[in-house]
Amino acid sequence: MNELLLQGLVNGIVVGLIYALIGVSLNVIFGVLRVVNFAHGEFIVLGAYAAYFAQAWLGLSPLLAMPLVFVIFGAMGYGLYFVLVQRLSRSNDPEHASLLVMFGLSLVLGALMLLAFEADARSLNFTLDPPFLMFGNIILPTTKLLGLVVAILVTGALAFFLYRTMPGKALRAIIMNRDAIQIVGVDLNRLSALTFGLGLGLAGITGILVSMIFPSFSPFIGQDYTLIGFIVIVLGGLGHPIGAVAGGILFGLAEQTAMVFFSGTVAMLLGFVLLIAVILLRPAGLFGVQNSR
Amino acid sequence: MLKVDQLVKKFGGMTALGGVSLTLPDQSILGLLGMNGSGKTTMLNCINGLYEATSGEITLDGVSLIGKSPHAVFSEGVGRTFQVPRVFHQMSLLENLSVALLNKGLSNAEVAEISAHWLNKVELYRLRHNYAEELSGGQQKLLELARIMVANPKLVLLDEPFAGVNPGLALLLIRIIREMPKEVGCSVLLVSHDLTSVYELSDNILVMHEGKVLAEGSAEVIQSNPDVIEAYLGA
Repeated sequence: MNELLLQGLVNGIVVGLIYALIGVSLNVIFGVLRVVNFAHGEFIVLGAYAAYFAQAWLGLSPLLAMPLVFVIFGAMGYGLYFVLVQRLSRSNDPEHASLLVMFGLSLVLGALMLLAFEADARSLNFTLDPPFLMFGNIILPTTKLLGLVVAILVTGALAFFLYRTMPGKALRAIIMNRDAIQIVGVDLNRLSALTFGLGLGLAGITGILVSMIFPSFSPFIGQDYTLIGFIVIVLGGLGHPIGAVAGGILFGLAEQTAMVFFSGTVAMLLGFVLLIAVILLRPAGLFGVQNSR
Repeated sequence: MLKVDQLVKKFGGMTALGGVSLTLPDQSILGLLGMNGSGKTTMLNCINGLYEATSGEITLDGVSLIGKSPHAVFSEGVGRTFQVPRVFHQMSLLENLSVALLNKGLSNAEVAEISAHWLNKVELYRLRHNYAEELSGGQQKLLELARIMVANPKLVLLDEPFAGVNPGLALLLIRIIREMPKEVGCSVLLVSHDLTSVYELSDNILVMHEGKVLAEGSAEVIQSNPDVIEAYLGA
């Protein structure tokens, strides 16, 4: 029993870090732009397809595809900001307006993926040698281990960007006080576009990790990832970039350890119970500050 | 030199500023007095680009500020504080100041040196690694002032700097504001309800009433102006 639990905990950390990445990118976008990116999951799935086709057509390994996908998705996000998001940010109620528009975008992207890639679930043909490592009776697939390392590196790089570089500090400053950042000479529009680009770039990388770690992906699962992203950021604290990491790991641990004892459905249900408990006990999330805005 | 010429700002059918003109020479302090709703803060918001003026002209050293966004106005050398300080609560004091130097192309050492100088000036250096949210309201006002001063502005807009500040910090603020024109070479537009401080600090005073200029002159002139006494001073 203890070994099973330990296996669940290990799986929880791996999956939790993927969830954390989903939450971090969603949280940075929400924190800076007050935009509820309901299409985030679809961009993650697009990232998974990008890895799939980069491998099938160009023979690129998912790891090599990551920087390429980050740049392409980042540029797409930067452009999309000026086409779509900028108008939403200017509205009197950006949260509600963006929720509706991005939900529409989510449906459109899902339908377009269905048309382009068909409904069949696909799997990335990616294995490592040896395929798994044994730690006592704990089995750890090497692809998951690699995914864990990449997720830690990406999260670390993001934390470095946010807390050690000037653009990162400015981005955090927007989250704390949107008016004040403008009067200290920061171009809010440019930085917002950069943030949306960063968010989509991270979504692309997360999609590749998802394709490496989870068995399959299809055009229908985007909203599942969006939902997980929102659970994670509510757990960690809305708008708090690093809070999402704690939220993701917590949710991943709860879900994966519950899977040891119960079915997948019950495990998901327990994740929601955790969410409700955190909302009741700490409405602003684990790292959130009440009435900070 | 700041020049505001026939500035009008309307919100729908309500006129907040009805053709206000003023001149603020270099290295001087202009006090802006007026009742609540007289248009003082609206004037500051128009100058620093938070509001778009309905008509009129605002120039700083001959460069028009009309139509410019707040960050572009900041780049022209205009710094601004608010009645309720808008600091970055979950950043250290040093980080708060470094954000204002983002576009100055300075090295980390230069940013640290300038920040340390101004944190010393506002007597917050010992708290430099603390989060801004740990400061009192008055200390946050000092931090906000330091945050604009690090950028070496030509014009500083101060909105009610003494409101809610304890007497000790108010004296410090008065001393810093008095020294700013000579030390940094900037001019100051000071909005305050604290008549004593405005009289003490200002080279010239402008009294606003219902979006228009009611009177202008030295402290002595303003204090003896019958229109001001009737409309504002009430004695």
